[in-house]
Amino acid sequence: MSEQEKEKPAAPVAATEVPATPAPAQPKAAPTSEDTGSQYFFGEPLVGFDPSEITGSLIVIEGMDGSGRSTQITLLQEWLESEGFAVQTSGLRRSALVGRDIDELLAKNAVTRLTLALMYATDFFDQVEHRVLPALRSGTIVLADRYIFTLIARGVVRGINRDYISGLYAMALRPHLTSWLNVRPETAFGREFRKAQAISYWEAGRDMSLSHDLYWSFIRYQTMIKREFEVMAKKHNFIELDGEASVPAVNKLLRQRIAEQLGIRSTKYTPSSALSHLWR
Amino acid sequence: METQDVVQKPARTEPAKSTLPQPGRPVPSRAYPGALIVVEGTDGSGKSTQLYLLKRWLEIGGYRLHFTEWNSSPLVKFATRRGKQRRLLTPTTFSLLHAADFADRCERQIMPLLQGDYLVLADRYIYTAFARDTARGCPPRWLRNLYRFAPVPDITFYFRAPLDVAVNRILSGRPKLKYYEAGMDLGMSYDRAESFRLFQARILEEYDKMVDSDDFVVLDGTLPVNKLQKQMRDIVASKIDLKRFAPRAEEAE
Repeated sequence: MSEQEKEKPAAPVAATEVPATPAPAQPKAAPTSEDTGSQYFFGEPLVGFDPSEITGSLIVIEGMDGSGRSTQITLLQEWLESEGFAVQTSGLRRSALVGRDIDELLAKNAVTRLTLALMYATDFFDQVEHRVLPALRSGTIVLADRYIFTLIARGVVRGINRDYISGLYAMALRPHLTSWLNVRPETAFGREFRKAQAISYWEAGRDMSLSHDLYWSFIRYQTMIKREFEVMAKKHNFIELDGEASVPAVNKLLRQRIAEQLGIRSTKYTPSSALSHLWR
Repeated sequence: METQDVVQKPARTEPAKSTLPQPGRPVPSRAYPGALIVVEGTDGSGKSTQLYLLKRWLEIGGYRLHFTEWNSSPLVKFATRRGKQRRLLTPTTFSLLHAADFADRCERQIMPLLQGDYLVLADRYIYTAFARDTARGCPPRWLRNLYRFAPVPDITFYFRAPLDVAVNRILSGRPKLKYYEAGMDLGMSYDRAESFRLFQARILEEYDKMVDSDDFVVLDGTLPVNKLQKQMRDIVASKIDLKRFAPRAEEAE
């Protein structure tokens, strides 16, 4: 991925009502269909797109801030490239259309919850249509740093109707694999704080007026998000991983699942010296 | 609209806790004390002129009102402009961006004003998105869900003009049609005027489908302006209890 991409957290929002990601038991198969969805989409098909053209794989890594998502994606990209796969990443607020606009809205904190949810949806679909789908058509592996699940959880905890926000993402592609790095909010707090020596307004869910105490605001907010994930994890067959395990341990499990999905025989990997600082 | 006459809304009591449904759930017109009047129709149907005249009539009468236009929130103005200039917009993102724009106006202007007992006049509303985005190929069910948070209007006027009349009004008054306005993104024709005509025909068809399901009050856009305005005023006066929106005692000088 480009330097610019690395700077931002990845994937577009999550919808709770959407049908499940493919069952890990049938790694090669595209996601199973459920409800009104197809094997390719959670619900309605995307306008003007023929899913039979997909030859790549969409692999989603979900998890709260401080769960280690970005670190794992950086390592997975190196591993996959060393195995000869073309890799592209996607993530939240990275679209050419509205990525920067969302940054500004967040900075100004003058936006209401529904509008923000819709801006994130715009950002998500712009990336899907202009970057993710073209990549998948050309056989590229797309590593998504967050997906619709985060976006759905954020909306739902802010009181937006679950069916509504899930319905927005009915046209989202079903990932071939969704893994969830599950960590306790207390652990995530420590990791996030170390990164910036502070906790941001949005990470702490301060727009929700949960507590004036930043620590408790963060814990309560992330706990609410985590509960939403627990519900979605069951519904969509997430591969749940212990995000508190060491980076190499989590990475090994991810490599195993991805190797299965892509038909890679060996899961051996040692990071290059450029990435060795992440390997702990 | 139903055939009932003046809609009686509950008198304003305590500003207790919000009577509004959860965001993303339907907002029926009885959920708010104000009144929402909407005009819809294809480009060139005369709707904006008529709404302007209705607004003048109400303003001169001293009624509390707010006027709002489709696609006017400063929030997404730059994104929309960027998307249009660089032709980044697809049917899906075009639709979502307009929904974000509308959500911003809805949450920050329309809903608070309806809660605050105002008359709100909207030049185009969600039906514009339904007609236009369906014409672009978006799934109708997805679109209906997308705008489910929008308050249901008290009156929706649909100005219907035959395709040729409406298209000629636009083509004669505008030197160059814009790319998305002409529906060029649909690839129906390389000729902008022709593309515009084909696009408008599809939109007109979508509007017509909503007449019954969404209680449109259909008005003939080919009638003389003053006759049409007379009809519009009569309908507003018969369906809305305008006295509620007369100046409040403490506001009147």
